[in-house]
Amino acid sequence: MQLAPVDYLILIVYFAFVLGIGWMLRKRMSSSSDFLMAGRSVPVWITSLAFIAANLGAQELIGMSASGAKYGIMTAHFYWIGAIPAILFVGIFMMPFYYGSKARSVPEYLKMRFDEKTRTYNAVSFAVMTIFSSGISMFALGELLHLALGWDFNVSVLASAAIVMAYTFLGGLTSAIYNEVLQFLLIVAGFSPLAILAVAKAGGWQGMASRLQPVMTHAWKYAGSTKDNPMGVEVFGIVAGLGFVLSFGYWCTNFLVVQRAMAARSMSDARRTPLIGAFPKMFIPFIVIVPGIAAVALAKMGAGYSIPLTDNGGPDYNQVITTLMAKFYPAGLLGVGLTGLMASFMSGMAGNVTAFNQVWTYDIYQSHIRKNAADRHYLNVGRVTTIVGVLLSIGAAYVAHYYDNIMDLLQLVFGFVNAPLFATFLLGMFWKRTTGHGAFWGLVTGTVVASFTYCLTVAEGKGGYIGNVHEFPSAMAQSWWIAMLAFTGCLLVTLAVSMATRPKEQKELEGLVYGLTKMPDTSGDVWYERPWPLAIAAIAILIVLNIWLF
Amino acid sequence: MMDLRLPSGLFFTLIGLILVGMGVFAPETRAALTDANVNLYSGLGMLAFGVFLLIMAKLGSGKAGGGKA
Repeated sequence: MQLAPVDYLILIVYFAFVLGIGWMLRKRMSSSSDFLMAGRSVPVWITSLAFIAANLGAQELIGMSASGAKYGIMTAHFYWIGAIPAILFVGIFMMPFYYGSKARSVPEYLKMRFDEKTRTYNAVSFAVMTIFSSGISMFALGELLHLALGWDFNVSVLASAAIVMAYTFLGGLTSAIYNEVLQFLLIVAGFSPLAILAVAKAGGWQGMASRLQPVMTHAWKYAGSTKDNPMGVEVFGIVAGLGFVLSFGYWCTNFLVVQRAMAARSMSDARRTPLIGAFPKMFIPFIVIVPGIAAVALAKMGAGYSIPLTDNGGPDYNQVITTLMAKFYPAGLLGVGLTGLMASFMSGMAGNVTAFNQVWTYDIYQSHIRKNAADRHYLNVGRVTTIVGVLLSIGAAYVAHYYDNIMDLLQLVFGFVNAPLFATFLLGMFWKRTTGHGAFWGLVTGTVVASFTYCLTVAEGKGGYIGNVHEFPSAMAQSWWIAMLAFTGCLLVTLAVSMATRPKEQKELEGLVYGLTKMPDTSGDVWYERPWPLAIAAIAILIVLNIWLF
Repeated sequence: MMDLRLPSGLFFTLIGLILVGMGVFAPETRAALTDANVNLYSGLGMLAFGVFLLIMAKLGSGKAGGGKA
């Protein structure tokens, strides 16, 4: 792929705007809460788009288009069965506790609801996780730019990290969130022409369907048995593993996304942040997954496009998106597409860095290292942490660069830590009898169960370090089952230990637990500002989409 | 608080103008697999979106947007 001067011009204009937004916001950063929590003053349409954009990192874009080419439209379940129900749940049921409790972060909610050890366990694992996710994302981008454009891995990694560092250092979370909106719009502008052009060239949806195996263009028809689809999953795995455990664990407890909603101006805005975000979210498959499917159809047509290959001759689906751009985008639009890719990377990385920042400053530094300093001190700690967070991410990107397999393992470890967490929140928010000891030992059990499951089962030649009790048809099926077992283990142990230990006084749980909290009254608002009508509208569209692509 | 519609409107107007410029003055710029004047059409789309955001920013510091100064 060759870039023309106009493509570089577009890239430079984009860099100028993201840095400019950070520069314009720098004066507002007068307290640690301005810097780390955006002063709880961001308008709802902005928090909603940031809520979606923080998750739409480079790894997500590359990975989803690759999965589209590999598995077909079933990949969309990550959005429709995975993300959307969990997003609606967090807006309707969980946000009243997160926002209403005045907790500054998800770990801090755990401290208020349970105890210090549960908070610290969550804060530390989350901090490590964010650094590695932003490192992996940086690695994915650096490698892709190297393959597509021949750009030096070091230069592209360091330059893009420096820009993210500059604008988050200047404007903190507000700057990250504002830029995420610009980045989201740019991702849509840069990727949707590709979907349209590639699908049109492949003969429209019908033309694609006629050239591909039927499983590629049906979301549910071949999900009855693990043998019928290349994902190796079936309805129960999709609904319980991906839909319930993994997605609820991610969208409802991951501070990276919850932080965006908590920056909203009011309780009503905080609840509507995920609900409004759900609408654009459910259409993202059409711009990230569909091009991957179209690529396979185009390759079969022999119309001048072929799937790129890896060194050992297999298909390299990770390069689908850049090779399509090279074939379909002329100089000019190519710059926009490439800038969209850079934007996705930056929004993902800034999301991780700002979440890391706040958890480190409030949940680790302030609660364990230096307790009662002046706010000015924590503002400075937050600024320094921005730099440290970016440097650590760069380090993680190099770890990923040199030890590819270690990163696979680490990603699994994140799964081990994340999957049980939703059980803890579910019990903690809706059962007032849940105790701190129960929550802590439940989480530890969940992690242990996940590790053992991974060491005792095999999929695609991975896992099974202790023995081989069961072989899964795909790594995806394996990770979903690990999540389900970890969730169940955490749930049972939390229940058992809670029954055996002394619960907190009811008085201490007001505002933290369902039944002891006055749910916000929304009956005076117009219908499109109320949570339930928004959620029902989202579900209605979701059902139509699933029937259409059944 | 800054009204985000202003900078993002400016951004898309600018990018739209660049692409429309490419489409008008270098219409022969094509990618391998496209026949249409892709730059012109996508540029017009982005220009329209950018102008829309700018008009919204101009019209409303109302409740729908982010315009509380």
